[in-house]
Amino acid sequence: MFELRLNRPSSVQFSGAMASTAKDAQDLFSAMRSAYSKTPTRLKIIDVYVIYGLITALIQVVYMAMVGTFPFNAFLSGVLSCIGTSVLGVCLRIQVNPENKEFKDLSPERAFADFVLCNLVLHLVIMNFLG
Amino acid sequence: MASSSSSWTQTLLVFFFFALPMLCTSFNPDSPSDRRVLVLVDDLAIKSSHSTYLQSLTDRGYELDVKLATDPKLTLQSYGSYHYDALILFAPKVESLGGNLDAAAISDFVDSGHDLILAADETTSDTIREIASDCGVDFDEFEKAVVIDHVKYAITPLGDDHSLIAADNLIDSTVILGSQGIKEPILYRGLGHIVNPTSELGIKVLSASPSAYSGRVGAEITDLPNVSGASMALVSVVQARNNARIMISGSLELFSNQFFESSVQQSGSDDKFEKSGNQQFAVELTKWTLHERGHLKTSNVHHHKIGETNEPAMYRIADNARYSLGIQEWNGKDWQPYQADDVQLQFYMMSPYVLKTLSHDGKGLYFTEFQVPDVYGVFQFKVEYNRLGYTTLNLAKQIPVRPFRHDEYERFIPAAFPYYGASFSTMIAFFVFGIVFLYHK
Repeated sequence: MFELRLNRPSSVQFSGAMASTAKDAQDLFSAMRSAYSKTPTRLKIIDVYVIYGLITALIQVVYMAMVGTFPFNAFLSGVLSCIGTSVLGVCLRIQVNPENKEFKDLSPERAFADFVLCNLVLHLVIMNFLG
Repeated sequence: MASSSSSWTQTLLVFFFFALPMLCTSFNPDSPSDRRVLVLVDDLAIKSSHSTYLQSLTDRGYELDVKLATDPKLTLQSYGSYHYDALILFAPKVESLGGNLDAAAISDFVDSGHDLILAADETTSDTIREIASDCGVDFDEFEKAVVIDHVKYAITPLGDDHSLIAADNLIDSTVILGSQGIKEPILYRGLGHIVNPTSELGIKVLSASPSAYSGRVGAEITDLPNVSGASMALVSVVQARNNARIMISGSLELFSNQFFESSVQQSGSDDKFEKSGNQQFAVELTKWTLHERGHLKTSNVHHHKIGETNEPAMYRIADNARYSLGIQEWNGKDWQPYQADDVQLQFYMMSPYVLKTLSHDGKGLYFTEFQVPDVYGVFQFKVEYNRLGYTTLNLAKQIPVRPFRHDEYERFIPAAFPYYGASFSTMIAFFVFGIVFLYHK
């Protein structure tokens, strides 16, 4: 009796929790989407750019796992070019985000110039290491 | 034009390099029949008692100079050039050699590439023992000891004394003993010796039977004999590192007409031979000792990359190389192609990286092809050929091997195309992103 009474409400509670978790996740996503839609387009462009770099890197790692490490220098430069691009993109995003008070003294133009310079150096190295 | 003349000079130099050992040795490849042999005897009676043996040498074109070992005018050389190409010492009794000859002079004679035939008997003097000992052969020093065999002694018209033995324990080598093979037992009376175990160059040609021992005739054996059994050698040869050849026999009578002509029967055996094996044995072994057999030379040592003909100054790793050389054997009259399937080439740097057996075309041209290993450094092409009874071939040619140059690697590797693509796509993405980022709205 005692166990039954305990069990029944708990199973009810559990299925209720399942439903509420799914609903919570849904709420979370819709909240994130509505919050993200308020993000300035400029930052969204950077996000696309960063995600593009990460996906390209991932494809190369998968390719390397299938084909082997043979031209290892080419693999390293291919992957590092993507990772480096993404990291520099993230850095640019931090610096041009108006909500980030840490870089309020740094103009977006200056941030972009830094970004361009860093990319030039990165790609110079990549070109030399590629083959 | 310049390169062809320099390759000519190289060829000449290489020829001289390989011909140099030949020029230094007594053996003259062009006119081997002109060889001068000094025969030293105790007693000029040996001229007649050993005439068949000496005649066999004269018949093959040797100039014999028979002299008494005590002749005060004896000399092997004057002003640094030797008068003789080979020395036959049939003088076991001589205490001190005449002229300026002594054990050291005979060692020098051998060291400069000349051949020596030495025979002893039970009266052998210390001088002769010293000469043999210098060659790595030690006669039994027990006083008046001779080889005695109570089981395999010889039954001959000369008597059936147990110190006259019929030996048939021969080395199995056609190059040393000739291709016919010696079927008859060999009559032997004289000293036993041992080839110094530290000597790598001495070879026992005729060994005693397991029942033989070295002792005094008619005396009771009180002590263990110094030498006995099959470890006791009767006739042995030495081929020195300079390819000088030495034959040492404990029996001078082995070469005598009497022994050559005698019929022989080994005790315990029913086979009776009309003629002993002595003549064949002595003549064949002398042919070997005087370089009528088993003397090899190399020629046309050459290596090149496959697809080219010139000898490169350097190889690159992964090159395909071809090495070839000619090997000829002297047959007493002219040079014949040498045929063997066990000549090996080493591509050597501290240890052999490549070890290949050379193929040959049956005309004395040996060759092999191999890929240079993936290790760079200073290598050698090495041919080391040591076979029983043959002259030692020892060739080494230094050759450097270099790694790939920076521009010898493959430029575009198909497997790396996705990486190239990714790198360039990020650059384009950066360019497009820059424009979009700057100009949106």
